[in-house]
Amino acid sequence: MDLNPTAEDRAFRTEVRRWLETNAATGDVKTLDERKAWHRKLYEAGYVGMLWPKEYGGWGRTPMQQAIVQDEMARLGAPPPINGLGIGFIGPTIIVHGTDWQKQRYLKKMLTAEEIWCQLYSEPNAGSDLASLKTRAEDQGDHFLVNGQKIWTSSGPIADWGILLARTDGKAAKHKGISCVLLHMRQPGVEVRPLRQITGSSLFSEVFMTNARAERRDLIGNLNQGWEIAQTTLGWERGANSLGRVTRYAVAFNQLVRATKELRRGGKPLLEDAAVRARLGKAYAELEVQRYAALRVLSALQNSDSPGAASSITKLSYTEFEKRYFELALEILGPYGQLVSAREEFEDIDTSSGEPGTWATAFLWSRAGTIYSGSSEIQKNIIGERVLGLPKEVRADRLKA
Amino acid sequence: MDFSFSSDQQLLKNSARGFLDEHVKPATVRLLWDDPRGESDTLWKEIAQLGWLGLSLPEAHGGSGLGMVETALLLEEMGRAAYPGPYWPTVLAATAIELAGAEAQKKRWLPAVATGDARATIAFLDTELDWRPEAAQTRAEKTGKGWTLSGRKRFVPWAHVADVLLVPAQTPDGLTLFLVDPRAAGLALEPVPVMDLATRLVDVTLDRAPVAADALLGGPGQAGPLLAALLRRGAVGAAAEMLGAARRCLDMAVGYAKVREQFGQPIGSFQAIRHKCAEMLLEAENSHSAVYYAAWALDAKAEDAELAASVAKAYVGDAARKVCGEAIQVHGGIGFTWEYDLHLYFKRAKALESMYGDGDYHREAILRRVAA
Ligand SMILES: Cc1cc2nc3c(=O)[nH]c(=O)nc-3n(C[C@H](O)[C@H](O)[C@H](O)COP(=O)(O)OP(=O)(O)OC[C@H]3O[C@@H](n4cnc5c(N)ncnc54)[C@H](O)[C@@H]3O)c2cc1C
Repeated sequence: MDLNPTAEDRAFRTEVRRWLETNAATGDVKTLDERKAWHRKLYEAGYVGMLWPKEYGGWGRTPMQQAIVQDEMARLGAPPPINGLGIGFIGPTIIVHGTDWQKQRYLKKMLTAEEIWCQLYSEPNAGSDLASLKTRAEDQGDHFLVNGQKIWTSSGPIADWGILLARTDGKAAKHKGISCVLLHMRQPGVEVRPLRQITGSSLFSEVFMTNARAERRDLIGNLNQGWEIAQTTLGWERGANSLGRVTRYAVAFNQLVRATKELRRGGKPLLEDAAVRARLGKAYAELEVQRYAALRVLSALQNSDSPGAASSITKLSYTEFEKRYFELALEILGPYGQLVSAREEFEDIDTSSGEPGTWATAFLWSRAGTIYSGSSEIQKNIIGERVLGLPKEVRADRLKA
Repeated sequence: MDFSFSSDQQLLKNSARGFLDEHVKPATVRLLWDDPRGESDTLWKEIAQLGWLGLSLPEAHGGSGLGMVETALLLEEMGRAAYPGPYWPTVLAATAIELAGAEAQKKRWLPAVATGDARATIAFLDTELDWRPEAAQTRAEKTGKGWTLSGRKRFVPWAHVADVLLVPAQTPDGLTLFLVDPRAAGLALEPVPVMDLATRLVDVTLDRAPVAADALLGGPGQAGPLLAALLRRGAVGAAAEMLGAARRCLDMAVGYAKVREQFGQPIGSFQAIRHKCAEMLLEAENSHSAVYYAAWALDAKAEDAELAASVAKAYVGDAARKVCGEAIQVHGGIGFTWEYDLHLYFKRAKALESMYGDGDYHREAILRRVAA
């Protein structure tokens, strides 16, 4: 056990910090073009696609180095890069399962955010039970004809391409008849309708596909192999992301402490209130433990022990913590916690969601993490079955199968 | 950066597990419940021979010079076994002597601890049960030949078997630490029965108890920072032991959930039970991260070592209580019986939660560091 960073990682951190201090966007990074420009700059500095092999335009860095970049960005409150789903798992899916042609055509433009990607998995009636999806892709020889509806598609309104799971064999068992194919989003058969989220913004959407066309050459892997493919790359870089998240929480903690010095109760600052102190102390203890846990996952990745199902524990841990944490912050801040535009004493905070905003934004966003990428309940099922080896539950679909 | 154990550390853990599984079975623990001393001298000599007592003591004084990570590994296994005996109080007191003692004091006590010939303990708490070292109320008065100590020390672990007692007391120079013979005149020891029958706590009353001039450990008025450091170390050790107790309860709960059937299926197939087990595992894994981060930070003298110790104690105290309690829930009625072993670990976790600074103490310590 040695939790000191290596000399190399320390030097890398200094280099990253220096680069960010000189280059971090100071003005607004709000419009898509501004965000793309910032992304591009990060990419050219070597801070996007860090885990991707060099031959595909990546930087062949270690998970620790990626974590350092995210950590330093969180410290400075620098806006994150975009195309997260693409770079986090769609690209890796293409790298692992794609053809040479697909790699040539898609990867570089994904890295540079020249093309934005979305994930077309969930459907109105296929959420946690994703394998029950109904969108059909009919084999037409050189292309597939796609009909159906997707929902909760993040970045849908700005996406150029999507990775699609669709049924290609209606007669096979539900996990067996699904294929994975890339879909061009800018075509007449694809209609994207933004959905408004509880934060008020519309970062996700519904996608309707009516005789949309997906090319045969864009099929990933074999026909009807889609489920397997989706399984191998879900949560590709989950472990390496958590350190940066924890740093965002820590930055928010300092802001919360500042606020409790301003707010007064009974003639003294809230920070001197014993009940508030006890709760802040507990929250900080939990926050630190999330940080230690993040380091432990990074160490496992570094030693190339794949975290596997254990990554479910990490995800469950930090998303559930995030909810408790912002609930506490809003309780302490009282009515101020509900402000939707910042006032001086209660600054904008880094919401760790890609959507900047106030405490209220962070509080609202904290509800999402325990739903997407496998809800907390699904994570607990996975931990129970695959880590603890508990018996599987009796489920109607398994009885039928 | 490497969070995994070295092969030596893993070996130590495995051999500790092997030894405790064989020599400290639940039945062994139960036998000692009725013993007035509450511990076994044979067992004490055996763990001395295994090198556990001298594990962290300097080689020059008969120890192996290993660190807090190795100590925590042992303590985790001891918690898993609900080990009965004064291991941690003794090692912690020996650390105090190592850190602050004069050469003669080290020569007198450290080799004796390492060979299993001496037991020791620290009397942290006074009547107000305030963990802050400076809150000590026991007083020391100078006499012609040395000092006399007066006051009441509460809940001193294993004082009745100790050969030397470390007693903080106020002097005109400030807080000072004394080495006191528990059998000396002016001392009255009174066991306090608590729910974990394998944890022995003792109230110690000092009524003008005479101690010699050379019984000071460290300089007069110097004990505050030393005691604070010992408390942190004690807290990390207790957290490791609580982690072990929690692991044992988790293992028992998962094992039971696989075989107990109701409504025609194993109870582990019910989500209410499975999800509980998943949450227990999460708490155990987070506790592991907290304990070993803090232990490493102490060894490495990391900047955040003090913070990490408080984080570990505050977090694991809550987590272990939850995990051990939920294990009882998973077991149903059998978990509530005296004969079933779960309560050994449930009670051990609870006993340690209030020692070496309780949750409130450490949460406040955390906040003082991060919200100045
Ligand atoms: C902000 C956000 C962004 C998203 N982005 C995308 C995206 O880009 N692309 C995409 O494809 N999807 C996306 N999703 C969708 C997300 O993956 C689904 O919401 C998720 O899989 C849950 O499905 P559902 O919403 O249909 O809920 P359901 O599956 O209907 O679940 C409802 C409730 O039932 C519980 N439940 C379901 N099954 C079980 C079970 N077996 N055991 C116990 N409890 C169960 C769930 O935990 C949940 O509490 C996004 C979601 C959110 C919130």
